[in-house]
Amino acid sequence: MEKAIIVDRLIKNFQISQKESGFVGFISSIANPTKKTIHALKGVSFTVQSGELVGFIGPNGAGKTTTMKILSGLIHPTSGFVSVLGFDPWEKSYDYLKKISLVMGQKNQLWWDLPVIDSFEFNKEIYEIPDKEYQKNLSDLVEILNVEDLLKTQVRKLSLGQRMKMELIASLIHKPEVMFLDEPTIGLDLVAQQALRDFIYEYNRKNGATIILTSHNMNDLIDLTRRVIVIDEGIIIYDGPLEDLSKKFAKEKIIKLTLEDEAKKEIFEGFGEIKKYSPREVSISVPRETTAFVAAEILQSIKLSDLSIEEPPIEDVIRRVFKGELAKEG
Amino acid sequence: MTKYLSSFKLALKQEFVYKLNFVLGRFRNIIHILVFFFLWSSVFDTTVGNHFGYTKSAMLTYAFLLILFRSITLSSKSGDIAGIISNGDLSNYLLKPISFFKYWLMRDFASKALHVIFSIFEIIILFIVLRPDIYLQTNPVNLLIFVYLCITAIFIFFNLLILTSFVPFWLPELGWGAQFLIVAIIVEFFSGAVFPLDIFPKIFFEILKFTPFPYLVYVPIKVYLGGSEINLIQSALISTLWVFILFRVTKIVWHKGLLVYDSSGR
Repeated sequence: MEKAIIVDRLIKNFQISQKESGFVGFISSIANPTKKTIHALKGVSFTVQSGELVGFIGPNGAGKTTTMKILSGLIHPTSGFVSVLGFDPWEKSYDYLKKISLVMGQKNQLWWDLPVIDSFEFNKEIYEIPDKEYQKNLSDLVEILNVEDLLKTQVRKLSLGQRMKMELIASLIHKPEVMFLDEPTIGLDLVAQQALRDFIYEYNRKNGATIILTSHNMNDLIDLTRRVIVIDEGIIIYDGPLEDLSKKFAKEKIIKLTLEDEAKKEIFEGFGEIKKYSPREVSISVPRETTAFVAAEILQSIKLSDLSIEEPPIEDVIRRVFKGELAKEG
Repeated sequence: MTKYLSSFKLALKQEFVYKLNFVLGRFRNIIHILVFFFLWSSVFDTTVGNHFGYTKSAMLTYAFLLILFRSITLSSKSGDIAGIISNGDLSNYLLKPISFFKYWLMRDFASKALHVIFSIFEIIILFIVLRPDIYLQTNPVNLLIFVYLCITAIFIFFNLLILTSFVPFWLPELGWGAQFLIVAIIVEFFSGAVFPLDIFPKIFFEILKFTPFPYLVYVPIKVYLGGSEINLIQSALISTLWVFILFRVTKIVWHKGLLVYDSSGR
């Protein structure tokens, strides 16, 4: 398979000016501006195969959105090489822009005072979408997101969730080959979130579109992505299958016990951290290195009908990714 | 090309949403012109002879042409760009296969079209009510250069506005201030939109004529009115030169701005 996205040793530094609060601070920041350099990306490299759906995760400020913005040509990298579908995104050639879409949870591209359908038709002209194709894409998207009766409503009259759906339609109406989805489910209700996930899944499968997805929504990641790239403080700390994330980062394993006879909670406290307890079912979290030793000890001292050793749930690991706990350890 | 046509259409539609706003804006414009008109009317009625080389009818014609000129050159939408850059909405435009400049030119044209239509009605009404003595230019050379200068004026103003709108690339908080200085003060005074530039000492115009400002209002109107102070060919050349210089500078600043643009807001 060919590579759709190549990112090599990407570096991005931002200059930001520090502002003091209050009037005195305001004056002094004019007289003596202090600049600070933020190292948003410190040499990021990865490739994405055509048709792949990759989750891009990390805590706030890790560099996810910066990477997406560079990939879609919005900001200029400080150094490094980027190629998407053979294009240099920074050149913003129309041929390139027609093939991609950047969906940001809080973007506003709709014409605020006009009915939504006007914005869609405007995009049809801009992207030069043939009539038939436009009608079909529109009716597909409208049906999936269930917004048939809102097309003639003024954008300003829509609720946040409704507007988010419309933003999505506007971003996808030209059937992009590559999609950068930055928090696409933000602001949507649970039903719409699920509908959107189904849509992304189907879109990826049917059209062979290449998709990079960032999300803080656990379900987005678990339902959609097989491969994840974990970024923290501008460095990629993991790139591989979602299932293996636990293996790499979890410092504990979970020992699950089914007891023959009921037993008190205190008995298990010496073995490790008790995650779940009922008189006949106990889950204990133990350090990875000592798992075998602890399991043997339990087997000797307590009557069991079953014992299993498992990786901790993927949610726990992802939660720690969001908190930024992994970089310091990895 | 259809993409720019639909930009134009949509922009017109958008303008129509704020009907009352628009009408109030026009009202302010008319007050502006009426003050100009009555001030100079009374000056000519209470004193004898010409003032600053204007006859009464020439000065009143200046007033009427101001209505039209404020609509053709000084009405514009591209001042919004400053806000778009500082709040990060520029990203929406950069992602689309559309020329940012042509798009905003279209939005300007839509705004101008609407203002021109209104100003024509206003001129007719004011003409009926005030019955001023209007000077009609018949020399085709003057008329031709007048029309040409209208066009260069549009592009000069477009570029001036866009250039000041680019300030937030570097100083996000200064967008409005920069524009206020350039548009509300420098352009208003030095373009001749408030009073004819003949009011200033002669030497002043001799310097000012090498800047782009008088070509926005004063020079075109002066060309219409005829008279020997203005060299037609020289004016056409200088204004053309400014159009090219400004377009070039705008392009350069745009590319430099994009390099530092951080697409904030997320």
